[in-house]
Formats: sequence, C-alpha cells, structure tokens
Amino acid sequence: MNCKSVLDSCFAVSVAFVFAASAHAADDADALKLEGAPIEAVAASARDTRFFLEAVVGNSSQRYRLGGLDIGRVSLDFSQTFRVGTALRFFLSDRVDHIYPDVVGADATVNSLREAYVSWQGDGGGTVVEFGRINLRYGPAYGYNPTDFFRDGSLRTLTTANPFALRENRLGSVMLRAQRLWAEGSLSFALSPKLASVPSRDGWGLDLGSTNNKDRALLALGMKVAETANIQLLAFKANGLSTTIGASLTALLSDATTVQAEWSHGSEPDLLSRARGLSAPSTARNRFAGGVTYTTSGKLSITAEYEYNGFALSKSNAAALAQITPMGQVAYQVEAQRLQDLAARQAILVYLSQKDFLTKNLDVTAFVRANLNDASKLVWMELRRHWTNFDLALQWQQTLGRATSEYGVLPDRRVVQLLGIYYF
Amino acid sequence: MVNRSTFLFAIWLSFGSWAYAVVSADEILVASDAIRNPGRPFSVTVTLTEFRAGKQVDTNTLISYSRTQQEGGQFSSLIRFVLPARDAGKLMLKNGSDMWFYDPVSKASVRLSPQQRLIGQAANGDVATVNLARDYKAAMAGEEEIKDGDGQSRKTYKLTLAASATGVTYSNIEMWVDTQNSRPIKARFFAESGRLLKTAYYRKYQLQLGAERPTETVIIDGLNPQSVTIMRFSDYVARAIPESWMQRDFLPRFQPE
Repeated sequence: MNCKSVLDSCFAVSVAFVFAASAHAADDADALKLEGAPIEAVAASARDTRFFLEAVVGNSSQRYRLGGLDIGRVSLDFSQTFRVGTALRFFLSDRVDHIYPDVVGADATVNSLREAYVSWQGDGGGTVVEFGRINLRYGPAYGYNPTDFFRDGSLRTLTTANPFALRENRLGSVMLRAQRLWAEGSLSFALSPKLASVPSRDGWGLDLGSTNNKDRALLALGMKVAETANIQLLAFKANGLSTTIGASLTALLSDATTVQAEWSHGSEPDLLSRARGLSAPSTARNRFAGGVTYTTSGKLSITAEYEYNGFALSKSNAAALAQITPMGQVAYQVEAQRLQDLAARQAILVYLSQKDFLTKNLDVTAFVRANLNDASKLVWMELRRHWTNFDLALQWQQTLGRATSEYGVLPDRRVVQLLGIYYF
Repeated sequence: MVNRSTFLFAIWLSFGSWAYAVVSADEILVASDAIRNPGRPFSVTVTLTEFRAGKQVDTNTLISYSRTQQEGGQFSSLIRFVLPARDAGKLMLKNGSDMWFYDPVSKASVRLSPQQRLIGQAANGDVATVNLARDYKAAMAGEEEIKDGDGQSRKTYKLTLAASATGVTYSNIEMWVDTQNSRPIKARFFAESGRLLKTAYYRKYQLQLGAERPTETVIIDGLNPQSVTIMRFSDYVARAIPESWMQRDFLPRFQPE
C-alpha cells in the first residue's frame, strides 16, 4: 500500500467518522424536538380497577365426529380494590364466562368469584392479615407447580391451554392468612376450613365444594439466600393426609439466564385411584418441575422445563389402562385436569415468547407440551397485536399422538380461534 | 541533584493530579446522582412516550417507588404499571440483580434476567433512576461545551464510567455533567462489546423534593436512532418505603395509598 492509498484511506475513515458523528448529532437534534405525551392524571380509583370484555370465535376439528365444531365464548372480567383508611383494603375479583357450545351437565354461563377478601396491613406492610376467598398461589415453574398446594379444584372453566393464561381464571379458597415480612424474607401461615362437601353445578354458585372441601393449612417461609437466589420452604397439611413438604428455588445464572425449580414430597393415593374414586392406600411420592429460561437480545425468551409426577401412571400402566378401558383413561385425564396435576409421569414443556415480532406491539407466544411416556404432544401458538385499549389475537392449537395417548385421546384435534379483548 | 528533585517533583505532580482527577470525577458523579435521585425514599409518576421515525407509537404510565438499600447504597425500585389498562396493577421489582415481574391476575412472580428486563418499558428506568457512583468507576475525560436537551450550550465535564460491579446493564458509560451545578446533561450507554445502546438527555429541570431535578429524559436507541423514548417525571412524593417491600414475597401484598 503506497502513501497515497494510506492517505486516501485515512481521509475516507475521517470523513466516515465525521459523517457518522454529524448523523448522530442530527438524530439527537431530531429526537430532542419531540414532545412527550401529556401527563395523564390518573385517579387512585382508576388505578384500582381492572375490567375487560373478551369475545372468542373459532372452530374445532374433532376426532370423534365428522366436520368441525363451531366454538365461541364471551367473558367479562372484573377486579377492584376498595380502600378504607391507610391499612385496610377490600379486594373483589370476578369473572363471567358464557361458553358455546355448553359442556354437557354444566351451565353455559359460569360465574367465577375468584377473590373477595379483606386485607389489613400493619407496621408499614411488615405484617399482613387477610380473610376471605384468596387466590393463594406458590411455585415458580412455568407449566406445572408441585408447591401450588391450593390448585386443585380451582378452575370452573377451561378457556385456554396456555398454563400462564389458565392461572388467570382460577378460584381462590376461603382462608385466614397471616404474613410477617422482614428485609429479605417472610413467613406466612394460611388456614382454610372445609365449608362444603361436593362441587356445585350451579353456574352462579360460589362453588365452595371445589375449593373448600377439606380442612387445610399451609406454612411457607421465603428467603433470599444469595444476591440472585431465592428459596421457599413449605409445609402443607390437608385433613386425612399426612403433611406434604415442598421447596422451590429461583436463581439468576447469567445476564440472560434464570433457573426455576420446585419439588414436593407427600403421601397420598395415586392419581388413578383418585380418578376412580377408590379408597387406595397412600404412598409417599415426589413431584418436581425444573426449568431454565434464556432471553436473547432480540427479545425472544425460551423456557425448557422438565416435569415429574410420582403419583401419575407409569408408562406401562398408562398404556395398559388405555387398552383395557378407554373411558377409564378419559376419567383419569379429567381428574388430572380437575386437580391441576400432571397426568404424565414425566413431561417436558418448551415455552417461547417474542415481544415486538416483526413490528411494534405484535407478540408471539408458543409452547409444546410433550408426554415423555407416550410421546403425545400439545402444540399451541398465539399471535397477538396490542392497541391502546384493544387486543386482537389469533390462536392455533393442535394435539398429536396415538389414539390411546394423553393428547391423542382428546376430542379436539385442532382448534383455531380469534380473540378480541377490550380493556375499559 | 536538581535533576533528581525535578524528577521527583514531576512524579509527585503527576501522581497528585491523577489522584485529584480520580477523586473529583467520582465526586462529580456522586453529585450528579444526587440530582437525579432524591436522597430519601420517594415515589414518582413516569409517563413514557415511544416514537418511531418521529411518530408516536406507544404511551405508558407507571409509578416508581424507590429507596436506597441499607447495604450497598444502590437504589431499589418497585414499579407499578398504571396505563395502558391492559397492564394496570402489574409490578416490577428491581433490587440490585434481584428482579421480578408480578401479574396480580395470574398471581405469578417471575424472576427476570437483566436481558429480559431490557424487553419492557421499565428497561429505561435505570437510565433515569440509578445510583451510578455505586456501580461504576468514574474518570475525567476532559471538559466539553455541548448543547443540552433544551438546546442551550453548557460547559460540561465529560466523565467515562467503567462498571465496577457485576450484573450491571451497561459495561461503560460516557457522561456529561454541568461544571456549574453538577447537573447531568447527557449520557451514552455502551454494551461490553462497545456497541452504543442508548443516548440519554436530561432536561426540563424543575424544583422537586428540595432540588432542581430533570423532569424529562429523552432516550435515543443506539442501534436505531429513529426509536426514541421520552420519560416524563411528575408527582414526586417523599414517602415511607420499608426495605421489606423490596422482595418477591411482598409483591402480592403491594397496595400503596
């Protein structure tokens, strides 16, 4: 390279540098001309209300009948916090779902009084005492929560297969709950009495028989054990069963990676015996879920989770059940769903979410659940566009597997639906 | 002898001026932090307006509750989303590297990685409210006259900040601080790779909680300068914020006045 070419290169680099600097300056000058949106005065009452209307239309391709089945749903969802003085709050959370076609034996319109409780906070929030119907939820895993001890019987309607969205519909249990918090931890105690014996089929009933059909108590200790690691230790006692213990952990592994795991160990009848209503002896088993979430710089979050339920049927027993009594298999699935338990002995979940996919305010969420025993799968995907007060979403769901498998036995082979949600 | 004395004097002078420069750069940064962040627990309403190519594409409102950690001195913040209605009541907690997102409807507390936090609107929060002096080592890079966010010429110290703590979002920062009053004027935030992530202008200074503080921050995306976010700060209120609020287990209980 001669001197001239070196000088030319230097000149080109200098020009490029000056050009880039002046381009930056021009960009900055343009940006500084912009004016932010006016500051909206938001009344405290408005901040305490959440109210939306959701309408769904779609079609389900069926396994056990010819042609598709038109499906639809309209839901009203309402939550409100009422404040009395500085220490007292009253929470109300309710949802009404009208489902088409209605489920055989159930009302087409179902009201779910999710929460209605009074909360007192003393000592600047250091002490909390609450009473009423409370949705008390534990567990950091994405798809299966062995330490979520109040999950069974909590869903009146199944409006989605997405485990995250499913949690939004669940009923709380009537309980007295107290919590003490300090700088890096908390201790809480919940006492939930038996108030009814059997679930209610009345669409407008409180359905205490689903959420409060036995006396239960839960003790939970939460602690920060390192700068980026938290644990929870739990002890749960239900009337007629021995104490179940549980633990969960979440930690930050790197700037882009988190890990979450939870485990419980207890003694109870196996899931098949519960589905058949048999009085089988209790056996001590484990439940576990553990996963890793990685987020790319392109706003894509990927979670891979392994799930284990020692009370579920083993691979050979599940296959035998499906061969001998197909209806028994269906009853087994229904019971697992009612208990919000894992029907498979082993399963995996891969969950993806991408914000601002291709364009601003367009999100993609997708997941695959796979039963490791029978290799059946549930695939779900959603494309959702946000506007200020309105969301429009397209959902697609497909079940794959042999006719005798967990997902292959379900009547819905493929579901495609369009959702519109208006936020008031 | 004279030569030796001159040599020692030169060493003393260079060491002394180096020490002076280091101390003064850090002091300037501390003073600049104190202007952005009130020295007591407070809440502030933040209105974020997002622009693409000059067009407004999104608006969000949130309330940030902040306090200084007893250990380490870093700010911890509990952010409550207010608008749009879809996000009302959702919470984000940042307590050092301990970051959580909480949805009151699903009752789910999800641990966030720094990369995940960058996805949301609150990602810009640490450009506005963070105690940089705690996590970065400052060095004086000279004095420059620059245009501030309001178009006025300002004589500034240019500081270069290198991360001295782990888990920080930005590896390096360039900061311009007014020589007259230690007001932050402009900052450029860099990734470890040297890539420019954001440029921030602090402007529209007003009296808030006993000091003149910037009530608007203009943030320009480093990769796409056409992507601009304006953060407006209003309703500063000094309030009691116990340290016990800054943890996951308090998120379901968080119901401030």
